[in-house]
Amino acid sequence: MIATEPKKELQRKISELRALPAAPAILQPLLQMLRQPPDKIELKKVVQLVQMEKTITAQCLRVANSPLFGRVRPAESITAAVMTLGIQRMEDILLTSCFHQILQPNKWVTPPTDFWRHSLGCALVCKEFAERIDYSDPDRGYLAGLLHDLGIIVNSVTYEREYAAVFAEARNSGLPLDEVERAKLGFTHSESGGMLAKAWQMPELVVEAIEFHHDVGSSPRENPLVEMVHIVDLLCRMRGIGYGYEEWRAVELAADPAWERLAKFCPRLGTMDLIRFTFDMDTYVERVKATVDAVYRRGDA
Amino acid sequence: MSLQQTQNILSGNADDSRDPVYLRIRDLVYQTCGIYHTEEKLYLLAGACKRRMTEGKIAGAKAYFDTLTRLSTRDAELRQLLNEITIGETCLFRSSGQLDALKNVLLPKLTEERSKLGLRRLRIWSAGCSTGEEPYTLAMFFAEEKERKYPDWNFEILATDLNDRSLETARNGVYGTYALRNTAEAYKKKYFVPAEEGKLRVRDDLKSKIQFSRLNLNDEARVLFMRNLDVILCCNVLIYFDQASKRRVVQHFYSGLLLGGYFFLGHAESLYQVNDQFRLIHLPGTTVYWKAIEGQEAGKQ
Repeated sequence: MIATEPKKELQRKISELRALPAAPAILQPLLQMLRQPPDKIELKKVVQLVQMEKTITAQCLRVANSPLFGRVRPAESITAAVMTLGIQRMEDILLTSCFHQILQPNKWVTPPTDFWRHSLGCALVCKEFAERIDYSDPDRGYLAGLLHDLGIIVNSVTYEREYAAVFAEARNSGLPLDEVERAKLGFTHSESGGMLAKAWQMPELVVEAIEFHHDVGSSPRENPLVEMVHIVDLLCRMRGIGYGYEEWRAVELAADPAWERLAKFCPRLGTMDLIRFTFDMDTYVERVKATVDAVYRRGDA
Repeated sequence: MSLQQTQNILSGNADDSRDPVYLRIRDLVYQTCGIYHTEEKLYLLAGACKRRMTEGKIAGAKAYFDTLTRLSTRDAELRQLLNEITIGETCLFRSSGQLDALKNVLLPKLTEERSKLGLRRLRIWSAGCSTGEEPYTLAMFFAEEKERKYPDWNFEILATDLNDRSLETARNGVYGTYALRNTAEAYKKKYFVPAEEGKLRVRDDLKSKIQFSRLNLNDEARVLFMRNLDVILCCNVLIYFDQASKRRVVQHFYSGLLLGGYFFLGHAESLYQVNDQFRLIHLPGTTVYWKAIEGQEAGKQ
């Protein structure tokens, strides 16, 4: 169903994609902001950014006024909304809204709420995981977790019809998405996501995490972010925030090659209480579901 | 702050489950008993503590923490607290995550492996079956699986408990609406007959699928007879054991399982620092411990 050289074809399609109004104007400044320590982030700048995109402004107000935050009087200005939400939550919502704009509502091959639950979930869990194993830059972990499945959006745009069939097959068989992609498309969402992330000039370590999270062995250099995203991705998929369907299989994380590689960089992994961490994840899962559901109230997605 | 929290504070009825002392109690309970409360479930632990404080006329969470740590009171109080924590937890079909994982992942694997050895039988042990909810759930589950997919397989269910009164209730097999709240109507019709006071009694043919017997898990001579098992379930039992007996019992479970067998704990329990032979496996929505077959992976990754 796809040309003989799937990756070349994909590359061409992605270069065309760059010309599309794909990357929202506020994406780059937003990502840069995210790379700063929280106390360096200026409220005024955030508000300015938010006001640049009308739909994002509306979304922020809606989330700030959702029952989740229990304001007594509704926030009417974006400044009040930002203060209610707090910077970190704000970034979640902004990034989510940005990526949501890339794909028109009718192009999603999977419910966007499933996609964002998984992405935001991986982001939060990755940051927490990074902290527990003493990885040097937990915020980078957050970013990599958030963006690691960017390729699902790329595939939905570039191979609309085929990709709907791929997703349907994965869902029906309960097989991992990347396995079905490899068989049907000849490449996975990690590869296509990596290509777009590169084109958007995202940080190199993050690009690698996106590109190799389903193929850690091919990662070109020592970058524990790749292994970490791989492990956290699996954990999320086993704990109720996967691709929106259950993959019926057994996963032994400690026997995964990524585990051993990661343990070399982060020795604390070896003594980590993985089961306790797994239990703790349920707390994030609930938080993530509440956030995503507030951003995409039923009927809006 | 939510409206509810504000109202609580105004009315002097402050919700103190966020009191950091409960986090210390949580960690204490986890370290000594191996049962964990996530942030989301901390209010349950706080509730159990408060019931104990009222009972023991102890004023305040801090004083209660002292009771739990003081040499003269800690063992007895911890036991009482565990009773409060696990109270009302039992009902039939309580752990749907475990049953789904058995049905979709473990049973297909186990039957495939055992048939290679020419076996057509699986032995399942409910260790610490209390008043019988777990073994009857298993009996129904395996009866359904036999009908659905494994007609020529024999599923043996062993159920043991230390407490004679619990065992008597279990053998009786009469349950009220609370215990049956998760049981599907179709199952109630198929596997139960009406009993006194609107309760339901397990049909004799289902009862005959279970061998009930009295067993003290600390009685090594007798536990040694529990062998050739494929699946062991031991939920909310080991939490009452001290570390040394816990290690010993889990070691017996390990020896009693055939290679490739599985060991389920309660949904918030952990074997961290209790046993390092069992391998932790993640399945959708649950975890299980595995007695590995050398050279075999738990699941394709």
